[in-house]
Amino acid sequence: MKFGKRLKQHVEETLPGWRDMYLNYKDLKKLVRLISSSLEYGKSEAEFVYLLNNEIDKFNVFFMEQEEDFIIRHKELQQRIKRVNESEPSSQEEYEEEMARIRKDIVDFHGEMVLLVNYSNINYTGMAKILKKYDKRTGGLLRLPFIQKVLEQPFFTTELVSKLVKECETIIDELFPTTVVAVEMKEAAITMVGEGIFKNTVAALMTMKEIRKGSSTQSHFSLPALSLPDTELIRSFQLNSPIPTI
Amino acid sequence: MSSANRTVGHIVSSSSGISSNLLHMSSVSSDETCSKRASFVTQSSGILRSTAFREYMKENNTSSWCTDSLSDFLDYTENSPVQSSNLQIMSSEDVGKPNDWQDWADQLIADDGGASPNWNEILVDTPVADQHPKMEYYVRKPSKTTLSLQLNTPVPASPREACTPMTPSSCGSGSQSKPRMRWTPELHEVFMEAVNKLGGSESATPKGVLKLMKVEGLTIYHVKSHLQKYRTAKYKPESSSQGPSEKKPTLMQDLPPLDFKTSSEITEALRLQVEVQKKLHEQLEIQKNLQRRIEEQGRYLQMIFEKQCKFQPSSSILDKSETELTNEISSSPSQSETEPGPIKLGLTSSEKQQEADYSESQPSKRSKLNESSSLEL
Repeated sequence: MKFGKRLKQHVEETLPGWRDMYLNYKDLKKLVRLISSSLEYGKSEAEFVYLLNNEIDKFNVFFMEQEEDFIIRHKELQQRIKRVNESEPSSQEEYEEEMARIRKDIVDFHGEMVLLVNYSNINYTGMAKILKKYDKRTGGLLRLPFIQKVLEQPFFTTELVSKLVKECETIIDELFPTTVVAVEMKEAAITMVGEGIFKNTVAALMTMKEIRKGSSTQSHFSLPALSLPDTELIRSFQLNSPIPTI
Repeated sequence: MSSANRTVGHIVSSSSGISSNLLHMSSVSSDETCSKRASFVTQSSGILRSTAFREYMKENNTSSWCTDSLSDFLDYTENSPVQSSNLQIMSSEDVGKPNDWQDWADQLIADDGGASPNWNEILVDTPVADQHPKMEYYVRKPSKTTLSLQLNTPVPASPREACTPMTPSSCGSGSQSKPRMRWTPELHEVFMEAVNKLGGSESATPKGVLKLMKVEGLTIYHVKSHLQKYRTAKYKPESSSQGPSEKKPTLMQDLPPLDFKTSSEITEALRLQVEVQKKLHEQLEIQKNLQRRIEEQGRYLQMIFEKQCKFQPSSSILDKSETELTNEISSSPSQSETEPGPIKLGLTSSEKQQEADYSESQPSKRSKLNESSSLEL
């Protein structure tokens, strides 16, 4: 149950409001096992499909809500920056403080959007896996056509969110002064992975690597293993975190 | 519009989108046009397309397994008379483009072959609960038998209804009639312009905004919820979309261990955070592209296989040597656009690496595929 475990871990670590929104992988797996011994194939398949659709709907609704929020917040951040830059500078210190707040907010916002794309991806992966299990267990041909439709679902078509992410990156580049960074700075930065979005994004990246570690049932439908050059660095974030990540 | 259509449409009107999919499948006995299916699909699973947005059905409850939805809509069936008005509200901006769910239903039916689910059985006969007593999420047994009669009625093809914009009044019971809307930045711009014209987020009313926006298919419910989000975002910047169960994002002054950190250290930490996040995003995009290509290739291979089956009886395919079939596949010129062969230009190095890993594993898989293709596909 490698993926199942990873998924569970991820769900526990993820943003609280998101925990109920992930795929019910474990239950679906149980169902597949039951179906394979069931005699009434047609009915079972219909039920299975019904549940999968429920899941898809769940993803779609959540995803689109978040997407809508992101659109609004993205715009608001831009306006906030504009306001701060255009208004009469009250004092250098206050300006700096506000800019610091904006920087923090925009970086967290960026992270949250990326986490939504991650959400989409994990659920898709889970769906693909469960469909594969279904076909394997029942000898059915559900997977191929069904997955084609999943590919077109709103929750998987993340282009807009990705676009917002990239725009955010452009804004971030403008906001962060380009300076030479001392080593001590970098070390101080590493200790900042505490709570908050940063912890989630680091965790998501590591989870992704674990999930892609190499399929036990390698086929032409399997993804290759993920190679991250900075794995050690990223892993060190988790080790330094005051909150133990299991 | 035949009475059969009307009836089915009515059933669907109050339900969740899943139930409507159920009904799609049940009433399709032969190839039907998407237009007809559009007529069953009320706003509850209504999928409209216009230049700016798509609408999707809104879930009534957010619980994982929607246990109530099926019994809910069955109850509705019992109580309400048939309303033909429900069907007229189908507005489809583009006659030519079928919506996703319908396509999905099509495909699923088409591929079911001999194992097509008997929906009547599922909905009317054996209670699901009996089969899987441990699974609490199963839908409770529906009690009405009228449903099966309605589902059984064959639905003749009919041309797509003329476009009529949806209005809240023609929807079924209030809370169940809100299709999902997919917002875009452009639509949001239009929204903001309207709000500003009305004096800002506090003084603007949903009705006023809706009128000003003049976007076909947009309902007051969409505007209302969007306005609410908008107001929250303005009032509490950056803590707006996190649910009540979440703690607010830690403000800088609230982080005890960081009191003594200089602002430049904080800035540096943020920079690092962005780098990690960028990396995650990059990997996600690569993964998604790979996943798409995998499915594309799977579909392509299956198509090839089916073509082979058509031209030669299946026994001779198994007789053929692996190399023969592989050669045939790779030399098929008409498929060049779908063939995931040469690595695309302009990929980042890690993407190239992953594509290479993937492609490397393919030739051996292909020959394996030929061997077991009759079983796998």
